[in-house]
Amino acid sequence: MNKRGITINVNGTEHPLQVDGSDRLIDVLRDQLSLKSVKEGCSTGDCGICAVLVDGKLVNSCLMLAAQCDGRRVTTLEGLLEDPTMKRMQGRFIANNAAQCGFCTPAMLIASWDLARHSTEPSNEEIKLAISGILCRCTGYYQIVDSVREGCEGGRR
Amino acid sequence: MSEQVAQLLDSLRAKAEKGELLYIGENVVRVDSLEKVLGNPVYTADLIPKGTVYAKLFHSSIPHGIIKRMELGAARSYPGVLGVLTSKDIPGLNESSAVLLDRQLYADPVVRSTGDILGAVIAETFPGAADAAARIKVDYEKLPAIFDPVGALDAGAVKVHEKGNVARQMKIRKGNVVEGFSKSDFVLEKTYRTQFQDATPMEPEVGLAIPEDGGVRVIGSMQSPHHTQAAVAKVLKLPPEKVRVIQAVTGGAFGPKSDETPFDVCSTAALAAVRFRRPVYCGLDREDSMVMHTKRHPFVISHKTGVSKDGMLLADESRIVGDTGAYASLGVFVIVRATFHTVGAYEVPNVKADSFLVYTNNTYTGSLRGFGGPQAIFAFESQMEELARKLGMDPLEFRLKNMLVPGKKNATSAVMDASCGLPQCVEKVVTSSKYREKASRYKNQVGDVRRGLGMAFLMHGNSLGPEGNDYGAVHMEVLSDGSVSVGSGLTEYGTGAISGIMQVASSVLGVPLSRFRLERPDTSKHRESGPTVASRVVVIGGNASKLAAEKLRAKTIPIAAELLRVDPQVVAIADGVAFDRRNPSATVRWDDIVAEAYRRGVSLKEDGFFMAPAAPWDQEVGQGTPYLQYTWGALIVEVEVDMGTGFYRVVGAHAAYDVGKAVNPGGVLGQIYGGTVQGLGYAMMEELVHKDGVVVNPNLGDYYIPTSMDIPEDFKAFIVEVPGPLGPFGSKIIAEPPIVLPGAAVRNAVLNATGVSVDDLPVTSEKVLMGIKPGPAARPR
Amino acid sequence: MDGIEPPASGMKFFNSESLISFQTVVMSTVELYSPTDLNDALRFMEHDGRNVTVVASGTDLLPRMRRKQISPSILVDISSFKEDLRYIRQSDGTIRLGALTTVADLLESPMFHGRLSMIREAGKLFGAPQVRNVATIGGNICSASSSEDLIPVFMALDARLKLVSARGERSVPLKDFIVGKRATDMKPSEILAEVEFSLPGGHSWTAYEKLGRRNMLIIAIVNEALSLTLEEDLRTVRSAKVALNRVSGKIPALAARTNDFLEGKMVTEETIAQAQKVLASELSLTSDFRGSGAYRKEIAQVYLKRLLERCSWQIGGHS
Repeated sequence: MNKRGITINVNGTEHPLQVDGSDRLIDVLRDQLSLKSVKEGCSTGDCGICAVLVDGKLVNSCLMLAAQCDGRRVTTLEGLLEDPTMKRMQGRFIANNAAQCGFCTPAMLIASWDLARHSTEPSNEEIKLAISGILCRCTGYYQIVDSVREGCEGGRR
Repeated sequence: MSEQVAQLLDSLRAKAEKGELLYIGENVVRVDSLEKVLGNPVYTADLIPKGTVYAKLFHSSIPHGIIKRMELGAARSYPGVLGVLTSKDIPGLNESSAVLLDRQLYADPVVRSTGDILGAVIAETFPGAADAAARIKVDYEKLPAIFDPVGALDAGAVKVHEKGNVARQMKIRKGNVVEGFSKSDFVLEKTYRTQFQDATPMEPEVGLAIPEDGGVRVIGSMQSPHHTQAAVAKVLKLPPEKVRVIQAVTGGAFGPKSDETPFDVCSTAALAAVRFRRPVYCGLDREDSMVMHTKRHPFVISHKTGVSKDGMLLADESRIVGDTGAYASLGVFVIVRATFHTVGAYEVPNVKADSFLVYTNNTYTGSLRGFGGPQAIFAFESQMEELARKLGMDPLEFRLKNMLVPGKKNATSAVMDASCGLPQCVEKVVTSSKYREKASRYKNQVGDVRRGLGMAFLMHGNSLGPEGNDYGAVHMEVLSDGSVSVGSGLTEYGTGAISGIMQVASSVLGVPLSRFRLERPDTSKHRESGPTVASRVVVIGGNASKLAAEKLRAKTIPIAAELLRVDPQVVAIADGVAFDRRNPSATVRWDDIVAEAYRRGVSLKEDGFFMAPAAPWDQEVGQGTPYLQYTWGALIVEVEVDMGTGFYRVVGAHAAYDVGKAVNPGGVLGQIYGGTVQGLGYAMMEELVHKDGVVVNPNLGDYYIPTSMDIPEDFKAFIVEVPGPLGPFGSKIIAEPPIVLPGAAVRNAVLNATGVSVDDLPVTSEKVLMGIKPGPAARPR
Repeated sequence: MDGIEPPASGMKFFNSESLISFQTVVMSTVELYSPTDLNDALRFMEHDGRNVTVVASGTDLLPRMRRKQISPSILVDISSFKEDLRYIRQSDGTIRLGALTTVADLLESPMFHGRLSMIREAGKLFGAPQVRNVATIGGNICSASSSEDLIPVFMALDARLKLVSARGERSVPLKDFIVGKRATDMKPSEILAEVEFSLPGGHSWTAYEKLGRRNMLIIAIVNEALSLTLEEDLRTVRSAKVALNRVSGKIPALAARTNDFLEGKMVTEETIAQAQKVLASELSLTSDFRGSGAYRKEIAQVYLKRLLERCSWQIGGHS
């Protein structure tokens, strides 16, 4: 089986990688780069649990072939752990009990962080829309929405 | 003395006064929140070591037949494949069964559903294993199959198992229904149906096995490590001590992870690990999970109910049929709960129920949050609504007349005591939803958009009740650095319950929860505590935790007293400092108490064990006290219906649950929100469809669970606290109850908005529209 | 596309090192080729006789491969030359969209308001945010199934497709391009490069409706698009183009008889009711677990009325 050499910028660092045709972005992130915050929930792009940012846009990493990410910039939760907006968002998630089983939490945090970048006063509807492609089975979404709203508002100062 | 110091001392005095209730009722941050928001690698799939190989289970393609031949050659010789495991490779018993021993690990020779596992391909990569598995050819002798549980009761029906199609039967005989009907002014007979629901935890079932030391270590996503240990040991023919099972952080469960699928996954991984001397990861992808794991039982429930013209329930006779699919799994207990809840939260003086847990050749069903409650309550609360209409009574007034309150008797003739908080729950939701004002406003609507309110009340028997001994153990150790390590065979999988029981201990000891550490449940360290099901952790585990903490406190208080030079009676510990409760100005730190204990050689390691009293009931007539306490609740939803398409939204939900004592209110609300939304999915959109025994939609694009855009825009949740006799500080269970009510509440709201009775779940827009505009096309079943 | 000479047979025009093997959960081994530009891709597709499937975002293809619904043996990844094929241009009343334009691009563009609102309406109900960020209009069209939301939208706009190959290009009306369930008129050596339609002129409006089992991440039970143009009197229909995800069987198409019926008629309650009947007679719909044929037919008729009313009301208001 032939492998191809590509380079992906992940969380700010250029990574030269050898990939198979079958490698999806999620496989490279989890298996080659040990970025375990990226989870696999359905393998068909229907749950959003694997969502990451590619060139600043929210994308399902289970549907992207690694080879298609050559030359792109990928951001996972690990790359945002020092970011003040993300820390604020995580703090709200903790305070509001927004992480129950935690499996959707990384994807929810990334989508929330992305929203916070664009808005400091999102309405509940805007928040629900921002996370509408990520399924949560535990929380019923309410405590997540409250956390995201507070996390965004904290950026006003 | 400065203002600040005075305030501090006052605050300490006040905390001392709270005693054991110090942190009870506080929204203390869960012990496991941080690792989740950091995205730490704590789930099973994150723990795969180098050199691990992968197992792919392969399953039957037909619903009923006999395996004549399996051609494994092409799979075996596929690149990267180490081997293919089938029943012939099982050194011990080919069994993977929770209760009735009616199910094999790898079906041989009879297959009874398309979910039956035939074996596993072990390969260097998962895609390789899957490709190899696709090359396996099986020849079957096909047998006729049966998919209708009511039809399966007929004498001449296809037999799914040799012993017949009834896996369990139950009865209730309370009073005399014949007499009750004879006194009734109206009698209503109706049948209700519910669907297969999939639990859909976001993390599917996974297990990792590492060979070690004449045995195997298994790490996995599961609800019951000790049951898994027993199952794996049986398959591998090893003594249980040689099978060490550790529950990893689990991404949601909701029931199936307490059934046989973790056995399947872990036994396969363990078998392959021992055989090939490599770590083995057996992880189900979503499709395999939805085909192979247990679903919620579809039920067909017929009620014949008699009422007096002034609205008193006089008699109810029900026939309850549950489709357990090819194997019973925990269905043997689901049918029990469904039967005991057959008339829901109401007093009916004469009750006759006959229930049947029936085998079919559909994929199998078992434990799923609510456990028979959602089905039973859907049927009876729908019946209540229909009766109210027949009587011309307001649905709320009719329910108020008949609902259980202290002094009344439920279906098993248990007398409700002062801990029945149903009236308070009802009052909260009626007020919050503005029911009375809106119900009258919505009476005579015209136009394309109509609104309606629907309600349902809950009685939910707590804990294992009639399923067996209900016990749990918690191990607690204060380490030399002052942290408190807690371990148990009870598992956390999202509800926050384990953090809850640690919060109980934290409250008793006077040490903040932030000093506590949770050990992963480990069969080599923690005592068997039964399955983590039935929402039993806070009630049973909480009591065990409280006992362990009390034993530790009995050791720490005397040491603190000596260090403070006061009498132990006056010592209080709060926020990690010990002080004289009369005069808190002198304090001793927890860490110093612990250091002193260590210096003296005092052991700070205690176990707490709690077993609930027996819950006696007569199996012949279904009477007695199968449950020691009940959780109560009420839900009112408001829907808005597009009369042109039948599509509707739930615009408001008002829910109140009597939880006895909310240890962590934020956690309780999380369960109310989450359970209600999962119940709304059950009510509105979820349906796992079988066609001739094949699951048609085993993926999340074709099986619909609620997204953030589907939740009611207005959701008010209320915690009611009427202490119960069983749980610590009077607490009652909360994890399952919220999923029970939405089915009927939504159905009734749609009825009130449109006049359409939908008697089978889910209430889809199609069923609503076909009720609004019945046309030449037949209503689909 | 000019100046490409077909090479002599037997010569390889692709760099074999850029061929990588692709294992999937389906039986055949799939290979992935990532051409550097469109010409490279076209040359490859011209001269490799194997079963070649083009992949852009993969949001439709990968799940279907995962569910074993298809097993291509070679994939050509065209997501890497977006500069050629991702654009939204307007000139002289014609809108041209590059085939790699994403649904998010459509939503972000200021162009699809007013009379082209239908495109925004469809975009907002398409999949979910992560899918909209990468799903392409080309992919949507070439998948050619009743679960592809944009097909009725572009059919209602009478869109034309520019298909390119190593031998040149051709233009095909979208309505002729879809020939059956998941079947198109595309030749094996072709790539869809551009979607083009004329801006509805005069007194026009467009609208869209979609019904699913929940509010997001849905495969439509029914989706329906209308482009309506009225005469100067603002009451008589100059042209009505209704398209649905399913008209006959599972194939997205224009409701031709309904459109013909509406032409020249005044938009009144009575003609709408008659149009609904024509639509009902023209629809031949099957049932599946998402909905019965009878229900889909009922919804289609309800939506027809709503779309006609909405569009004529908007036209009245904007003139």
